[in-house]
Amino acid sequence: MTTRLSRGLGLGVAAALAVSLSACGASDSSEGGVSGEDYDGPAVEVTFWHGWTGGAAPTIVPKLIDKFNAEHDNIKVKNVPQEWADINSKMPLAVKAGKGPDVAVLHGDDLATYAAQNLLQPADEIIEGLGYSEGDFPPDVFGMGDFRDAQYAVPWSVTPLGLFANKDVMKKADLTEVPTDRQGYLDALEKLKAAGVQGEWVDGYVFTGTFEFQSLLWQFGGDLYNDDVTEATFNSEAGVEALTWMTDLVDKGYSPKNVAQDGNIKALLAGDTAFNWNGVWQTTNTAFGDLDWAAAPVPQIGDEKAVWSSSTHWVFPANKGQSADETSAAATFVKWMNDNSAGWAETGELPAANTVREDPAILEKYPNLEPFMEQLDYAHYETVSPGINEANALITTAINEALTGKKTPQAALDDAKAKADAIIEQNQQKYGD
Amino acid sequence: MAIDLAATTAVPADRIVGRPGGRGRRPAARRRRTLIAYLFLAPFLALFVTFVIVPAVFGVWISLTNWSPFRDSQDFIGLKNYLDLFTAGSTTSADFWNSMRATGLFVVLSVPFLVVVPLFIAVLLNRKLRGATFFRTVFFAPYVLGVAIVGVIWSYVFDTQSGILNHLLGLFGLPSDTPWVVDTPWVWVSLVGVTVWWTAGLNTVIFLAGLKGINTDLYEAAALDGAGAARTFFSVTLPGLRPVMIFITTTTILASANMFGQSFLLTNGGPGNETRTAIMYIADQGLSQNNMAPASAMSYVLFAFLAIISVVNFRLQRERSEKAAS
Repeated sequence: MTTRLSRGLGLGVAAALAVSLSACGASDSSEGGVSGEDYDGPAVEVTFWHGWTGGAAPTIVPKLIDKFNAEHDNIKVKNVPQEWADINSKMPLAVKAGKGPDVAVLHGDDLATYAAQNLLQPADEIIEGLGYSEGDFPPDVFGMGDFRDAQYAVPWSVTPLGLFANKDVMKKADLTEVPTDRQGYLDALEKLKAAGVQGEWVDGYVFTGTFEFQSLLWQFGGDLYNDDVTEATFNSEAGVEALTWMTDLVDKGYSPKNVAQDGNIKALLAGDTAFNWNGVWQTTNTAFGDLDWAAAPVPQIGDEKAVWSSSTHWVFPANKGQSADETSAAATFVKWMNDNSAGWAETGELPAANTVREDPAILEKYPNLEPFMEQLDYAHYETVSPGINEANALITTAINEALTGKKTPQAALDDAKAKADAIIEQNQQKYGD
Repeated sequence: MAIDLAATTAVPADRIVGRPGGRGRRPAARRRRTLIAYLFLAPFLALFVTFVIVPAVFGVWISLTNWSPFRDSQDFIGLKNYLDLFTAGSTTSADFWNSMRATGLFVVLSVPFLVVVPLFIAVLLNRKLRGATFFRTVFFAPYVLGVAIVGVIWSYVFDTQSGILNHLLGLFGLPSDTPWVVDTPWVWVSLVGVTVWWTAGLNTVIFLAGLKGINTDLYEAAALDGAGAARTFFSVTLPGLRPVMIFITTTTILASANMFGQSFLLTNGGPGNETRTAIMYIADQGLSQNNMAPASAMSYVLFAFLAIISVVNFRLQRERSEKAAS
C-alpha cells in the first residue's frame, strides 16, 4: 500500500512534468455567443466531468444525458464520471493542456480556487444569455460563483444540514414532537437522559461535527471569516459559545465521550440515540428502511436561525484553445439539465433552480425533503476564497481537540485561528488578490 | 518517489540470495553474460528511470522553486522551502515536525512487533505441523486486502460505543468505552495492532523461506551437542536468518515510516493531528492544497532521514554478522 502510494506520487509528478512540458503558452479561450436559444451550430461533442459516483446518481445521470442527446441532433454529451478528489487533482493540469472538459460540476468551496487560477471562463455573457439571475436560486447560492466581479458558475444543487430523529427512541422519553428551539431541545435531551438515552452523539469530524459547529456559530451571530476573507473569525465569542455548546453535550451526559467518525449516525440507525445533525443526503440512506424516523430543520440554539449548507455548480473550463461552439453547446446542456433536474432529488440533493424545486410534485414524491427546503431561506454556504479549504481543515482539528479534552474550546479555536490566518496570508501570495 | 529509491537501493538483491560465484571464467564469456544480464534488466530500468529517477530529480527542482502547476513559469527560490521547515513559526514547520514525530513514534512502536511476531509464527509453522499450509494461508490472507477494506473492517471493530471489540471487553467485565480510534494512547495501540494483523503475513512468509534455507545438519549437530530448544534457536536459527533479518528490518522500517492509509482511514489523523503521519501531511500539502514545492522539500527531508536510518541499520547488522563469521 505504501509503495503503491509513493509510486502514485511519482506518477503524478511525472504526469505533471509531461504536461508542463507540452503546455507552454497562455490559455486563450474565445467566448462563444450564447443566447437563451438552443445551440444551433455544427455538430459538436461536449465532454462533461462530474464526481457523482455513488448513490442513485450513476443511473440517473446517464439517463438524463441520453435523453438530452436524443433531443439534440447537433450535440453529443460525453459523460465522464470520476471521484471528486480525482477531478481536483486532474482538472487543473488537463485544462492548462487543453484536454479538460467543456463543462463540469464543482463544489461551491472550490469555485474560487479554480477561478483564481484562470481555469474557468468568466461566464457573465453565457449566464446572461441563458437568462439566469440571482433570483432564480435560493438566497446566496448564485453569489458563490462570483469572484473578483465576474460570474463563473451556475448553481445546480444545494445540500443543507438538518436534524434526523429516531421516533422510536423519542418515545422512550414520551417525546412526540421534534424540538425546534434551544429550550425544547435541552428539555428533550434531559428527558432522554432520564430515560437512559444519550440524545445526541457529538463527533469531532468533518462529517458532521464541523457542519454542526458552523451552523451553531452562525446561529450565535458569528462567522467563519471576515467579509473580505483576510482573517479567520471563528474564534469569536459566538464561535466559543458554539463549541462550548458541543462540549457541554458531552459534559452534561447528553452525548457519550469519544464518538468515532460516523458513530452518531450508526447509533441513530441502531436505536441508541434520538437525534443526529446530518445532511440532506442521508434522506436516501436505505438503512433507515422500516425505522420510524423524521427529518426536521436543525433546532435554533442561538439567537438567529441559521444552518450550514454546501452547494454544487456548473462551470465552463477555460481550456487552452477552447472551442466557442463547444462552450455554447455546453451552455445549452446546462440549461436543459437544470430544467430537467426534478429527478435529482432522488440522490438526496435539492435542485437549486427555484422553478424546479418549488414544484409541489417533488415534495409529493420526496416528502422528507420538506424541512431541508424550508431552511434554504436562512442557510449559510461555504466561504468563497481561493485555497480556503486548507484553512477550513483547521476548524475540524480545533473541534476534535476540544471534544477529546486536549484543549478548551477557546484555546483550540484561538490556535486554529492563528494558523488559519497564516494560511490565508500564504494563499494571498499563492493566488494573488 | 524518494521512498522507492531508498527501498530499492538499500537492499541489493544479491545480499539476500548470496552472490553466485562468477570468478575464474574467461573474460569474453563474462562480458557476454553481463550484456545479456543488462538486456534483461533494460525494461525494468526504463520504467525505473521514467517513473522513479526522473520524477525524483524533478522533485529536487520543484523543492527549490515556488512551484505551482498553474503558472507558466516557476521562480527559483533556493533553499527557502527547506529553511521554512526549520524555522519555527512558518506555516509548515510545526505541522511537519509533528507529523514526523507521529511517523517516528509509529516506527518505534510497530517495527519490533512486525519483526518478532512474524518470526515467532514462522518458527512455529516451520515445525512439521499438521495443517501448516492452512495456517500459513490464514496468516498471510490479510495481506492481500487493500488498505481501504482494512480501514472499513476495523472501524466497525474499533467504534467506541458500538464497536465489536468494546462489546466483547464489556462481556468480560472490562472497560467497554475505550476510545480505540479517537483518543491517545489507544489510537497508537489500534494503529499498530491493525498494521501487525494486516502485514505480518508477508514477513512471516519471508522468514519461513529463510528458515527452509538453514542447513538441517546444523540442527542435528546442535541436538547431538545437547542443545535445548532455546539454545538451538539463538545459536542456529537466529544466526542463520541474519541476511533475511537485515532485509526484513530494513523494509519494515521503511514501510512503517510510509504509513498512511491506516491513520487516514481509522483516526483521520486525530485526536487533533496526533496521528497525522509525514506521508499524510505531505500528500495533503502537495496534492490537495497545491503546495507542491514545500511538499517536495518535506519529501526530501523524510528521504534523508530514511536513508540515514537504512544505512545505519545495514551497517550495524553487517558488522555483527562479520564479527560472528570471524
